[in-house]
Amino acid sequence: MANETARTPVQTTGHVWDGDLQEYNNPLPVWWIYAFYVTIAFAVIYWIIYPSWPVGSGFLKGVGSISYVNQQGEEESWHWNTRAKLLRETQAAAALQRPYYDKIASLPYDQITKDPELSSFVLSAGKAIFSDNCAPCHQAGGQGVIGHFPNLTDDDWLYGGTFEKISESIHKGRRGYMPPFGEALEAGQIDALANYVLSLSGLKADAEKAARGRELFHSHAAACYYCHGDDAKGRQDIGAPNLTDKVWLWADVPGAADDAGRLAAVRRVIAGGLDRGVMPAWEGRLSEEQIKLLTVYVHELGGGK
Amino acid sequence: MAATSSPATEQYNYDIVKKFSVMALVWGVVGMLVGVWIASELAWPFLNFDSPYISFGRFRPVHTSAVIFGFGGSALFATSYYVVQRTCQTRLWGEGLANFTFWGWQAVIVLAAVSYVMGYSQGREYAEMEWPIDILIEIVWVSYLAVFIGTLMQRKQPHIYVANWFYLAFILATALLHTFNNLAVPVGLFSLKSYSLFSGPMDAMTQWWYGHNAVGFFLTAAFLGMMYYFVPKHAGRPIYSYRLSIVHFWALSFMYMWVGTHHLHWTALPDWASTLGATFSIMLLLPSWGGMINGIMTLSGAWDKLRTDPVMRFMIVALSFYGMSTFEGPLMSLKDVNALSHYTDWTVGHVHSGALGWVAMISFGSLYHMIPKLWNTPMYSQRLINVHFWLATIGVLLYITAMWISGIMQGLMWRAFDDFGNLQYSFVESVAAMHPFYAMRAIGGMFFVTGMILMAYNCAMTIRQGVREARGAAQPAVAAA
Repeated sequence: MANETARTPVQTTGHVWDGDLQEYNNPLPVWWIYAFYVTIAFAVIYWIIYPSWPVGSGFLKGVGSISYVNQQGEEESWHWNTRAKLLRETQAAAALQRPYYDKIASLPYDQITKDPELSSFVLSAGKAIFSDNCAPCHQAGGQGVIGHFPNLTDDDWLYGGTFEKISESIHKGRRGYMPPFGEALEAGQIDALANYVLSLSGLKADAEKAARGRELFHSHAAACYYCHGDDAKGRQDIGAPNLTDKVWLWADVPGAADDAGRLAAVRRVIAGGLDRGVMPAWEGRLSEEQIKLLTVYVHELGGGK
Repeated sequence: MAATSSPATEQYNYDIVKKFSVMALVWGVVGMLVGVWIASELAWPFLNFDSPYISFGRFRPVHTSAVIFGFGGSALFATSYYVVQRTCQTRLWGEGLANFTFWGWQAVIVLAAVSYVMGYSQGREYAEMEWPIDILIEIVWVSYLAVFIGTLMQRKQPHIYVANWFYLAFILATALLHTFNNLAVPVGLFSLKSYSLFSGPMDAMTQWWYGHNAVGFFLTAAFLGMMYYFVPKHAGRPIYSYRLSIVHFWALSFMYMWVGTHHLHWTALPDWASTLGATFSIMLLLPSWGGMINGIMTLSGAWDKLRTDPVMRFMIVALSFYGMSTFEGPLMSLKDVNALSHYTDWTVGHVHSGALGWVAMISFGSLYHMIPKLWNTPMYSQRLINVHFWLATIGVLLYITAMWISGIMQGLMWRAFDDFGNLQYSFVESVAAMHPFYAMRAIGGMFFVTGMILMAYNCAMTIRQGVREARGAAQPAVAAA
């Protein structure tokens, strides 16, 4: 250690700690000092341009300025600030969207889908609105989740698939309900009904039980026909599903492993009923033009009528 | 034999250093395992097992507290008690008080972890502990300050070694930060909840004044103290420049206190406050680098040791990561860069390049240097140190690369507009895009924690060997007497 110190031209400070800990007294690296000065100069320039030091009850505003359109629609110029910058950028995006939204607001639904440019706008804006608001339940592609949320890409509609009906669903929300029959009916009756429901979609069912189920379905004892209709094709005015179209929402029939599982899935719905088919109302949460756009977007997902 | 080894143990209080060193290893393993677990939860959410107790929200502060305060804190207590004794050539002042800091600090970590898992949190990042734990921290910390200053005051050296300035700055600043950030009125005497004394942006500003200086003084200044002792000591070379150490010490201490507001760009915080945070961060770059220059230049002339000595490699890699993350930090503090980086994984990557690359690596190097000296025996396995080094290095690189890509991608996706002025991507699309990088980050963490476990094993074997040798050496001495 001592040898090494002697060999170098730089002196140590002369202090020694813990046996051999010493310090050279090298000068500050020149590049380090100049780089430090550069960062200070950078800071000073920054302070001149942007709001910086607090002075009294105010602060230095900086020479930089920014203009934006205020709520009254007037162009306003202000010292540089992050809020105005954000406003400017969102206003620039909104200005690009404006002509399309104006056109959408003024045109009837079927005219919107016929205009190719408007259609691409609906696809682009609709994806963003749908993804952020609807996708948590209906999933990113609108395919829904069996047992929970309806599929929006098929042509089977609970409440109707016309533009007007879709718009109504989005505006007001929906509340699906089916009373539980577990206590009103006997287990054998529920089993018969389940066999009948499966047979309606052409699935394997006990013919004798299905026939009994068919009778029950149209009887006053179960009164299924009251909501689902004489032909079991549902009633869109009250959101009662069509039971004949092989489309399943509440009973996870496609997910069941075998015939027994499929029967059990249907039995569970009949016995337990449903009280969770709730879709919130979007009126007030989304703007009118967003809802109109979303209506077209959902209509065009595949199954619009 | 006994006569030659006993003065060292009498001259210095190594018992307290040993206890903290062991706990640093324990908390290192625990904290990093929890870290890997929560990283895996993000990549594979079924790992939540639908239990609130191990969900990300509760486990995350367990991870941060265990690694920062458990592992980092214990390593700092251990090394500062070791360094202050050896460089002041005096025994630690206040033996009982020093012991209290050990038991008190360990209690803090355990209580904090248990309370987080139970769902108690103050909701302040890195200061999640509820008020009763805060009071315990305060008492422990003031005792730490007393022990440290007491020891400095009875030093047998005219000058205070540079490492001790950094340690002292860390202890003082942490006391200040902890006190002010946790000023709160408890809801009731028997309630763990409390109301902060500050509200709105002032509350946020106080929190980030604390938060960033926890990084600045706890995770930077204190570990620079570690570096200033262990790097020259291990290399057997003098510190490169005393002058640089003075200038960068004061510049760093002065600048750091201002920069917290760079965590609150583009929020309700006034623009002038956020400007000051950004500019002081830029001016902090060179003062931060002063420590890196002093460390690396101290090693110049001893480069050959890098080939043979894995401990040296830990130190040099730590200094390199320190230099890199203190360059990255000022960059991210600029408002326009921050507009891209804030709320993304880039921030997480930045923190970990500092925490894993700098803090953990310099602690590993220092502990590998110190543990053989404490137990008076060579490390059980040099090969395992070498394996640890590579596992740690690969782990950090995987981690930060994953987070850079994921973070910048997130930031770009969130702000992308198409020609119609519509957002190009939905939030959920950005989440889906991050998935492979979350898996990569978890794997990086697995590398790192494997190295940590090897280290704990290697140290446990070394300690066993040291204890056995000491017993063997003591017996003949007794027989001879």
